[in-house]
Amino acid sequence: MSMAGFLQPDGRNLSKAGILLLMAPFFLLIGFAFLYPLLSLLSISVTEPQTGLQNYERILDTPVYGKVLLRTLWIALLVSILSLFLAFPVAMAMVSSSGAMAVFITACILLPFWSSVLVRTAAWAVLLQRNGIVNDLLQAIGIIDAPVRLLYTQGAVVVAMTHVLMPFMVLPIYGALRNIPPDYGRAAAICGAGPLRSFFEVTLPLAMPGVLGGFILVFLTALGYFITPALLGSPQEMMIATLISQQLREFLDWPFAAALVGVLTLFVTAITLLFSRVFRFDRMLGGQV
Amino acid sequence: MKTMKRAGLLALAMLAAGTAARADELVIATTGGLMRNEMEKWFYLPFTEETGTEVIPFDIEVPDQWARAEGMIRTGNVEFDIVTATGPDLVDKAEMLMDIPCDTLENVKEYALPGACQPKGIARTTGGMVLTYNTETYADNPPESWADFWDVETYPGPRGLPDTGDRDWWLPTVALLADGVAKEDLYPLDLDRAYAKLEEIRPHIAVWWKTGNQVQQIMRDNEVAMTMAYSGRALKVIQDGSPFAMAWDGAIRDTGYLAVLKGAPNPEGAMNFINFFYGAADGHPGFIQAVGYATSSTIGLSQLPEDEQKLYATYPANYEVLVDPDFEWIGANRDELRERWTNWLLQ
Repeated sequence: MSMAGFLQPDGRNLSKAGILLLMAPFFLLIGFAFLYPLLSLLSISVTEPQTGLQNYERILDTPVYGKVLLRTLWIALLVSILSLFLAFPVAMAMVSSSGAMAVFITACILLPFWSSVLVRTAAWAVLLQRNGIVNDLLQAIGIIDAPVRLLYTQGAVVVAMTHVLMPFMVLPIYGALRNIPPDYGRAAAICGAGPLRSFFEVTLPLAMPGVLGGFILVFLTALGYFITPALLGSPQEMMIATLISQQLREFLDWPFAAALVGVLTLFVTAITLLFSRVFRFDRMLGGQV
Repeated sequence: MKTMKRAGLLALAMLAAGTAARADELVIATTGGLMRNEMEKWFYLPFTEETGTEVIPFDIEVPDQWARAEGMIRTGNVEFDIVTATGPDLVDKAEMLMDIPCDTLENVKEYALPGACQPKGIARTTGGMVLTYNTETYADNPPESWADFWDVETYPGPRGLPDTGDRDWWLPTVALLADGVAKEDLYPLDLDRAYAKLEEIRPHIAVWWKTGNQVQQIMRDNEVAMTMAYSGRALKVIQDGSPFAMAWDGAIRDTGYLAVLKGAPNPEGAMNFINFFYGAADGHPGFIQAVGYATSSTIGLSQLPEDEQKLYATYPANYEVLVDPDFEWIGANRDELRERWTNWLLQ
């Protein structure tokens, strides 16, 4: 392609064709590695064992599946809220610190982020087991007399997932906060706003794109989360990803597993659309003020 | 996700190799770790030495293996010769499996225990789903049966039960034993009665374990004071010095079978290996000691010292108190058993 077609007539910006050409490998990859398998799986859910919606009817007719779905939504929401409250102060500290301190905080966020989810999850199993550090500590300071069950509970899943997913919350908020000019805070102070008022009326509204971006990132990731619930949770409090894996791997019920994937996809799409309708996506991800 | 990744890797490996499996190769799927290593040491390598057929071990958990086999049959590209099957699999997956010619394999005719050679599979190792308890926690008054497992007043302490493999009939079975049903009257299972009994023990289950490694780990870490366990896994924990013991009364006989997939690339080699397995006397004592499960080859068993035989499911005093599951009934009702189990556990 000649440079003329690749660029707009002004010779500076990419033309539409140029943009499409540059994006083509990405769309090919998405189509081949994501859309095609997803669509073929979804087609199984309505064609096997017979054509029709019987797999979806089974989800609706059996209360436990609805329960698993609700539990999944609830845990994802809980994890998102918890990581928001933990991440915001960290992001503020990152923005306001400099030099060695900034490097240290960033390392604390990013180093675990780069280590395997499996390792981080296994570490929680060690901490939470019956003779683990947490139980020993609680007994040593006299809060409990005998070891309590911490591992293989919903609490363990929520705590560990919050830990694992927190970087996804910290980074967008950090991005949004860093884009707020420091003058705004000074201007608020000059106008007589105290630190609290300045936070709620200036910093927080301007940081909202980052907050929402982080929130939706964590929430959607948590919805389909597999490793942590499978290792730290109890099957009595199963989440949907574990249920899908069980139907596939143990019961070999591909059509039903595909229907569960369909329901999960439906929820993720609906939530994404809702967010993008109510809050503008470009602002969230760009973190622009 | 992991499975898909591995499937991808396998496909890549096959592409790289450029050919499908050859006739002088035999792919045997078993669980990884101990079972793979010991099978290789005592049987695969001697078999290769004797016949020239190279055995390619493939590590995989049994449910994953069936998922993979299902995929292979769907795509018409079968890569496993010998797979690992449980008793119910022999009924459930019968249409995926070749017939075993019990009458024509010389060593099988000669040395197999009665009932070891089934139409669709042949016994590899026999153990039990056995009640295993901490001997320090219950030093004065050890539990002896599933009724004691349910008796949380006399035997307090956190308990473990499996949420893997065949728990959909293992657990209703022991629940009925705990409720006073005699071993010979268990099948067909009275599921309503069984689940009412399971409901009683549910709040006391600290761990629903998922793998053989995990059940060993929860015993070593004192995560549970008593649990149902694979007898071979429990044996290892006991031999490693952890204070545990097995109560064999009402343990469920659990036999792992060798089975051959229909469309296997090397069916002849597979049958040769089965014949070799039953006749290779020298391999059995070392193998049994290492994996903790007894084989069903009479020349293999007889080479173990008498006092050591007591630790295994096939020792006469243990064998006679085992539950012998009715695989025909279980196989015929598998869907209902599973649905019932899933709905109960998730509720």
